[in-house]
Amino acid sequence: MKKSVRKQRNIESGNKPQKVSLWQLFVTFFKTGLFTFGGGYAMIAILEKELVSRKRWITNEDMLDMLVIAESTPGVIAVNTATSVGFRMRGVLGAIIATLGVVLPSFVIITALFFVIDKFNLESNTWYKAAFTGIQACVIILIVNAFVKMASQVEKSWFSLILALGSFAVAVFTNFNIIFVILIGGALGIVYSLIAEHVAKKKSKPLPLTESERLDEVAEEGRENSQENKTDDSERGDEQ
Amino acid sequence: MSTFIIYLQLFWEYFKIGLFTIGGGYAMLPLVTQIVARHSEWNFSEQQLTNFIGIAESTPGPFAINLATFVGNTVGSQTELGAFGGILGAFVATFAVVLPSLIIIIVVTILFEKFKKNKFVQGALRGIKPVVVGLILAEVVKLGCKIVLPNLDIKTFSVEGDLQFNWVTLIIVAVFAPLSQIKIKRKKIHPIWLILLSAAVGIVVFGVLEAPHYS
Repeated sequence: MKKSVRKQRNIESGNKPQKVSLWQLFVTFFKTGLFTFGGGYAMIAILEKELVSRKRWITNEDMLDMLVIAESTPGVIAVNTATSVGFRMRGVLGAIIATLGVVLPSFVIITALFFVIDKFNLESNTWYKAAFTGIQACVIILIVNAFVKMASQVEKSWFSLILALGSFAVAVFTNFNIIFVILIGGALGIVYSLIAEHVAKKKSKPLPLTESERLDEVAEEGRENSQENKTDDSERGDEQ
Repeated sequence: MSTFIIYLQLFWEYFKIGLFTIGGGYAMLPLVTQIVARHSEWNFSEQQLTNFIGIAESTPGPFAINLATFVGNTVGSQTELGAFGGILGAFVATFAVVLPSLIIIIVVTILFEKFKKNKFVQGALRGIKPVVVGLILAEVVKLGCKIVLPNLDIKTFSVEGDLQFNWVTLIIVAVFAPLSQIKIKRKKIHPIWLILLSAAVGIVVFGVLEAPHYS
């Protein structure tokens, strides 16, 4: 009798959209911080499995929205994701707790590691140096891979290419503050987008066309005589 | 330099890093390099930073947080506060790099629908993304130059004394480049294994065999 009641309760609590406690939130993100290497995208894959598929705290759609936010706002991607999930689940306090959870393992492990390196003066140890001379060669490959991955996500255009080469040259050959380089990039991006939008609007009125395009147009005009009046109106609007 | 000022600097620099980098860990790297170079009073060598990148990549947690904790520990432990100063420094750097995220994410989550469609936000991202890509490439070239041609100053293309050429390091780089692309069961080899392998190679080549290496 008792057993069946308890069973029923379990089922009920499992089906209801449960309110996640701050402690649960902390533990989940602490584990994520502890067991993922490299952060960022590696962590997102794990969070997706944990939060969407297993715990069902959030829907897949919400997860995608959070990814967009995490990637297009400043800061560490893994931390942004944690803050975002925490905020959605439990408000400002949730955001703080989730962030604390994801950061804490790093903090403890790295601080401990730093003590070991410092205490045994490893930096002047011959073997340590030899090992890190090898690691340096590997690190450069890792940065190249990060570069390739990020470059593949950038819109392919002359504008992007010029900006990338420009920032590259500034960073290699000058001591110009990198924050300003980023800010200038953002400003140019806004200007470029506004101009592109303007040009696209202008293009929407008939321009001199190639022969085949012109023939297409003529054929279309024949078909859509009724719409002609509308385009005439918008043209007049543009000229004014 | 008073201790308080050091922590203030640490906070301010890391706050700016958290505020102005889009694209996560490796996007932050160029800024960290520049800041470390600018603050000579921090006594933080580029060599240390490169080592820490290797460690940060092979320990759990977000790469950028690991690096911030390391930088904070190194800078803080040099003050008169000693080991406690290191932990305080790590806390200050980590807190500072996370703080902008915390504020921005909360605001953006509330305004999400507007944020997604805002043409200024989209325009700014259109410009920032390629810039970050260029900056990371610059980081590759500078670091590559430093470990292969240690006494070439790439800014001015000048060499102090005879040109040193670490050809052994170059060979290791050339071997690890294709290695990092190999897929086992459709997954690339995890960076941790590459780093551990490269550490072993370093110990054998530079420690046991004592291959020539300038630094």
